[in-house]
Amino acid sequence: MLTLLEQIDKGTLWRSHGGVHPPELKNLSNKTTIRQIPLANQYVLPLPQVGDSALLAVKVNDRVLKGQALTSGTSFAYSPVHSPTSGIITAIKAMPSNHASGIEVLSCVIQADGLDEAKTVEPSDIETLSNQDILKKIQQAGIAGLGGAAFPTHIKLSPASDIELVIINGIECEPYITSDDRLMREHSDEILSGIAIIQRLLSPKRIIIAIEDNKPEAIDAMQHALNRSQLASGSTRITAVPTKYPSGGEKQLIQILTGQEVPSGAIPAQLGMLVQNVGTAYAINDAVINGYALTNRVVTVTGLNSQTPGNYWVPIGTPVKHILDSLGFSGDFSSDKIIIGGPMMGHSLPDLAAPVLKGTNCILLPSKEEIADDVTEKPCIRCGECAVACPALLLPQQLFWHSKAEEYDKAASFNLHDCIECGCCSYVCPSDIPLVEYYRIAKSAIRSQTEEKKQADFAKQRFEARLQRLEEEKLAREAKAKEAAERRKGTMAASDKNAVAEAMARIKAKKAAEQASENEAAEPQLDKKAQIAAAIARAKAKKEASASNSSESTTSVTIDDKKAQIAAAIARAKAKKSSTPAADVSVNSSQDPQALDKKAQVAAAVARAKAKKAAANTATAQPSELSVELQTDTETTVDTPVNDKQAKIAATVARAKAKKAAANSAVAQPSELLVELKTDTETTVDTPVNDKQAKIAAAVARAKAKKAAANSAVAQPSEQSVELETDTETTVNTPVNDKQARIAAAVARAKAKKATAKLADETTDVVQNTNESLAEASISDNGALSGLDDKPYAPTEPVSPSQEGEVKQQEPASTMTAEQQKKARIAATIAKAKAKKAQAKLQEKE
Amino acid sequence: MSGIVIAVVVLTVLALVFGVLLGFAAEKFKVEGNPLTDQVEALLPQTQCGQCGYPGCRPYAEAIAGGDKINKCPPGGTATMEKLADLMGVDPEPLNATEEVQVKKVAYIREDECIGCTKCIQACPVDAILGSGKLMHTVITDYCTGCDLCVAPCPVDCIDMIPVEQTTKTWDWQLNAIPVKQLQEDKPC
Repeated sequence: MLTLLEQIDKGTLWRSHGGVHPPELKNLSNKTTIRQIPLANQYVLPLPQVGDSALLAVKVNDRVLKGQALTSGTSFAYSPVHSPTSGIITAIKAMPSNHASGIEVLSCVIQADGLDEAKTVEPSDIETLSNQDILKKIQQAGIAGLGGAAFPTHIKLSPASDIELVIINGIECEPYITSDDRLMREHSDEILSGIAIIQRLLSPKRIIIAIEDNKPEAIDAMQHALNRSQLASGSTRITAVPTKYPSGGEKQLIQILTGQEVPSGAIPAQLGMLVQNVGTAYAINDAVINGYALTNRVVTVTGLNSQTPGNYWVPIGTPVKHILDSLGFSGDFSSDKIIIGGPMMGHSLPDLAAPVLKGTNCILLPSKEEIADDVTEKPCIRCGECAVACPALLLPQQLFWHSKAEEYDKAASFNLHDCIECGCCSYVCPSDIPLVEYYRIAKSAIRSQTEEKKQADFAKQRFEARLQRLEEEKLAREAKAKEAAERRKGTMAASDKNAVAEAMARIKAKKAAEQASENEAAEPQLDKKAQIAAAIARAKAKKEASASNSSESTTSVTIDDKKAQIAAAIARAKAKKSSTPAADVSVNSSQDPQALDKKAQVAAAVARAKAKKAAANTATAQPSELSVELQTDTETTVDTPVNDKQAKIAATVARAKAKKAAANSAVAQPSELLVELKTDTETTVDTPVNDKQAKIAAAVARAKAKKAAANSAVAQPSEQSVELETDTETTVNTPVNDKQARIAAAVARAKAKKATAKLADETTDVVQNTNESLAEASISDNGALSGLDDKPYAPTEPVSPSQEGEVKQQEPASTMTAEQQKKARIAATIAKAKAKKAQAKLQEKE
Repeated sequence: MSGIVIAVVVLTVLALVFGVLLGFAAEKFKVEGNPLTDQVEALLPQTQCGQCGYPGCRPYAEAIAGGDKINKCPPGGTATMEKLADLMGVDPEPLNATEEVQVKKVAYIREDECIGCTKCIQACPVDAILGSGKLMHTVITDYCTGCDLCVAPCPVDCIDMIPVEQTTKTWDWQLNAIPVKQLQEDKPC
């Protein structure tokens, strides 16, 4: 038993199944040498040819040279497209394709400039190139199978498995076509050089150049060239193959030459074989040795409608129309068919603007005599001729049956995908059934079904992935919400605890402070205590006085000048307030920019607020007696130099409370109201106090003041007894500045004004009739200001409302002139106030 | 007499043995869900469009397996309906949709009109829309099933359903054959 290689060496041929012997009609075009055709004006290069992963490397209006790549790409399957001539790119747009459908594809349109200027190339020495370099050169040259399928050659030449047998396909079995024949006759040496490159790349055991025996000249030429070449004659041979269609098919040729059948769905490389067209071998030589890109190919232009049938070097991208125009077309464009490819496997061209591609080996221009009229399809008679003719050993009538019934799955079960669409069955069919057309339709339907199925599976996958994702997101959201809720709970509990702890601490601090103030404040604050006592005494006295309806106010304390001044100022302010309701009250008490003044201001503000309250109460409470007991115990424990701020704060707090109390009392109309308000306010400031806090306090106080005023204006209470106990403990450890004090004072003043204005507006009439007004404000001021030498004061002024504003508003509270003057003025003011009161009383009595 | 006893005993033992075997097999080779559902689902086009009234193809497959009508799937068209009829052993019914909706379409967002509201992204059952809040969206055409669900939520109506264009790869080869007349070799050409 001979081995396969021995049989190949012997030239053994196997019989392939089926096949037909159509008229060859090759002598129409194989008599002349390959000629050039004139340059076209315009070339059209479809961009996505085989291997779609390419990027456009040029743009419109670029000038390109012959052989310049129009695309770039990095993938292994990438195969570039080259400009076939020099010219300008006029458009990159969809152009009719060289396809049976004529569907437009994206193409590069090049306007030739007629120079045909080529990119400079350097011929390289094959000996110095590595296999990788050669493959790269083949790829960069854009070489694709020139037999018709146009599969990128560099992919074919880098197979995964070892190649034992390389077959160079020079069969060209289809009728009419002679391009490979002429190429072998004229360029046999170049072809063999290309074959040598293939041999170097793959190092196969044998190379067979297969040529049909109807091309004896080609066989001769190739044999001579083979003898001339450096290829080892033992490994390379030329085999003449008997003429039969379709022995040029890849699988059929392998069957004929080796007797092996390529399995369904497999490629020859799996059998260790590789088939390349002679034209491709020529192009490989051109690319590797000369460095030329694949920009033109041999095209057979033939048929009875062709005036000059023959073979031509046609630049790839030349529109078919140009070829017909330059070579002469005697047929009728509208009625005569123009076929791309051979008569058996070719397709008619719907649009003549379509270009020649790398796989276009023939333009067939048959006359009406050459091709039959469109014959009507007759029913299948089940003669079985097609099954005999089929080279792929299929059952064409079964395939036809199912394809026609659109039972594509059944057609597929008869191995429809193994059909090579050679057209033998159609050729032999006595019923003129275009079987291949049915198969093509069925194949495309199956292909689209498969694609749809794939897409459906993919969509399902994505849909399920999405559902899962949504579910996960939902769970994650819920978990997060839960976590947040727990965290909130935790922090809430903690803060509660904190609050309790803080409260406890405050109570302790307060107690300690009380003790400390009792114990420590004794020595330096003797005066103060005395003053406080005095103030309390005064307050009581006043109370008594008011209780007995006496409108006189007794000032039973003798104070130094300053105090007197302050008291006077306060008195004036109050007077103003009650008497001039809508007037601008500007108490200019801060002439002396000393801290003393400030404190005084603060105190004044406090006093004013209280007075207001009282006034409001009295003003509204018409018929009866009102007794407001305001006990404000302000305990101030100051350990460090004290400042105005704390005082202010205390004052503000006190004011706020007072207002509240007033509001309460005002609201309660008919009965007796006893409000006991015990407010322990502890202000513990451990850090340097800033303006902000003061401001905030002021703002709060203001808001309360307004509210209170509104309330009091509305209400008409009868008897009210308000006991207000305000314990204000202020423990301040840090020094404060003057500014804040001033601000606070100003705020207090503003508030006072506002409140009075309101009150006055609404209760002008009422005030007149008020018999008694009692305002008792006992203020034990925070005199223990150890750092500053200030003095406590307790201004208590009964205010008798009067409409006549005799008190000068612009009068300064403290003047810096002689003390006596001041005193005198104060006295005068007090006197005036008393006088007014008395007048009011008189009026009432009358 | 003893023969009867033996027969009864043997049959009882056999019954017990096979009962245990069957019980074991029922546990061991238990099939989750209705296998018919999977077969039905394999026939459905998986557009997840909800035109059948069910939220996706799987629920409709379950409904068909449970006896629902087979003509509620417009994207699948008549072919799917016929396959379903074949599988379920029921008579084919005309589709409850017009022919024109059976053209394969994909969504297209007019990108300069998109305001980036992400509503279409939330509507897409197969995550075929790409984009983010206040950023332009676009459709990944290869992933789009043409289910139409993104069109309604769009507040600016910038989504079009465009029929898929035929390419040379998807062309259906519906053309007339090229008949080649048989000429005699000896005849001069």
